[in-house]
Amino acid sequence: MASLRAKGSFLKIYYWLPMLILYISVLNEFDFNYLKLKYFSFNFPFILIFFFTLKDFKYFDYTLVFIAGLFNDTVVGLPLGISSLSYTLICISTAYLRNITIRPSPLKDWFYFLFIISSINSINYSVLTLFFSFDLILMNYLINTFFTFSFYIIFVSIFRYYLKGLND
Amino acid sequence: MASSRDDLLIAIRSAFLKKSTQQKFSLLTLVFFSLFIIILSSLDLKVIKFSKAVINEIVYRSSFIVSVPENLIKNTFTLTKDYTTFFKKYKKNETELERLKSSYVSNEITEYENRELKELINDYVSSSDKILAKIIVDHDSPFLKSIIINKGSKDNIKIGTNVYDQSYLVGRVIEVNYKTSRVLLLSDLNSNVPVTIAPQNIQAIVTGNGEDKGQIKYIKSGFSDQLVDDSIIYTSGTGAIFKSGVPIGKLQSFGESAVNEYEVEFYSDFSQLKYVFAEIITQTEISQVSAETDENSNEENNPLDAKLKILEDELEIIEESNKKFQKENENLKTEINNLNYKVLNLNNEISSQKQTINQFNLDTQELKFLRLNLEHGHKCRKSFLNNKGFIVGSAEYKDCVLSKGKIDG
Repeated sequence: MASLRAKGSFLKIYYWLPMLILYISVLNEFDFNYLKLKYFSFNFPFILIFFFTLKDFKYFDYTLVFIAGLFNDTVVGLPLGISSLSYTLICISTAYLRNITIRPSPLKDWFYFLFIISSINSINYSVLTLFFSFDLILMNYLINTFFTFSFYIIFVSIFRYYLKGLND
Repeated sequence: MASSRDDLLIAIRSAFLKKSTQQKFSLLTLVFFSLFIIILSSLDLKVIKFSKAVINEIVYRSSFIVSVPENLIKNTFTLTKDYTTFFKKYKKNETELERLKSSYVSNEITEYENRELKELINDYVSSSDKILAKIIVDHDSPFLKSIIINKGSKDNIKIGTNVYDQSYLVGRVIEVNYKTSRVLLLSDLNSNVPVTIAPQNIQAIVTGNGEDKGQIKYIKSGFSDQLVDDSIIYTSGTGAIFKSGVPIGKLQSFGESAVNEYEVEFYSDFSQLKYVFAEIITQTEISQVSAETDENSNEENNPLDAKLKILEDELEIIEESNKKFQKENENLKTEINNLNYKVLNLNNEISSQKQTINQFNLDTQELKFLRLNLEHGHKCRKSFLNNKGFIVGSAEYKDCVLSKGKIDG
């Protein structure tokens, strides 16, 4: 009985693992910036949100994603609501892609991801510079977009293992 | 055609409005929420400020807890790296410490003099109190360079409070919560600090380059030719945002073009900060202070007493160094005496050796005379048959023997 209960709690944690990782990543900025590589940065939450909302994962709640965005803004020091808007826009784009796709293709998803993150980063950059008078380096955004796009494939293969484990 | 447009509209509407069983809000609601929050956060209302402060407190603490494992790994790495270069650093620091100790006293005197002069100019006394703050969140974001410290409005931190690493400026507070604050680092693109470049005495503005360094901006044309490597940059105090005379960094040239371009290398390494000092400044009118000092003239906090104490310290140090020099002099004198004694001994030895050599020369001459005397003595000796000869032992006889019996006419 006890072992069953333990198994049940473990399963619960396993179900909520992507959301847990999202919160850890926004609170901890899981992006290896401390490695001090000059032209390297990527946005892990973008990959995570895009993949799991595209798969319409049951335990990936939009409201929690929205709150994670608020947390990210607070940690990074951006005006409150900017990241929430970005994350919600990713959710919308994946919902749209899901609706229009009959036969899913990883390659199409990947390039759609590039289009989406480029658009969102452009919106972010424009809002921050035009409405909040932030001084930002555009090159950093481009580098961030490039590496986020490149790492998508690697993380997606890991996430697939996770989903496979869940189905088994 | 119409059908495909309908499909697109349905897809978009579905994406925006459809809620699956697990979702509490539709995505359109969340978009509106986001926009609403963005607009609200840009408004300067008291309620919003308070709510923001509460969210900040919770998120910063959570971030600190979540970052513990990563920080542990980072710290272990840094510690291991430090241990490998420990001895070298220790030796370097020892030398540096000796040098700094000597300049410390005179610096403090100058500081007190400066403070007195400032009091005279400003009509108020600004007493500062540096409080130690721990950095609880330090995510080196590529976009914004800021840190979160564990001191807030509860500890009298205000927006604009200067933050230091030892005596070097690292930034200023831009957001204050009850028990936490956000510090904008000097390396951030949005940071602007009025500075003086020494020894050229050029006024400029230093802004962050978004990485680890700063750049010189708004310098008067023509003055940039006067800049040289390793020029010291410190705050000028213009605009009263930063305190004057606080060291920031030094100039470093970069680029290989004919005209040198300069960047600012900060004295403090912002990625290695663990604790910082936040300076709480309180300003008191000078009249009140004089009244207070009259009442408590014997208090130790009086600047004159403090200056006197510094002078006493300096005197003590000078006396100590005098004693050291005297001792050294005595040692040198003893050494000189010893050397003189040695020289005397050597001179004596030389003169005795000279005597020996002279004696040897004399003996050699005598031997030569005796040998020649045996051979040619009969030719020089005066006798019945040799009327031209000399008396034995006379100088002429000796000359005659040495010239092998030849008698000069």
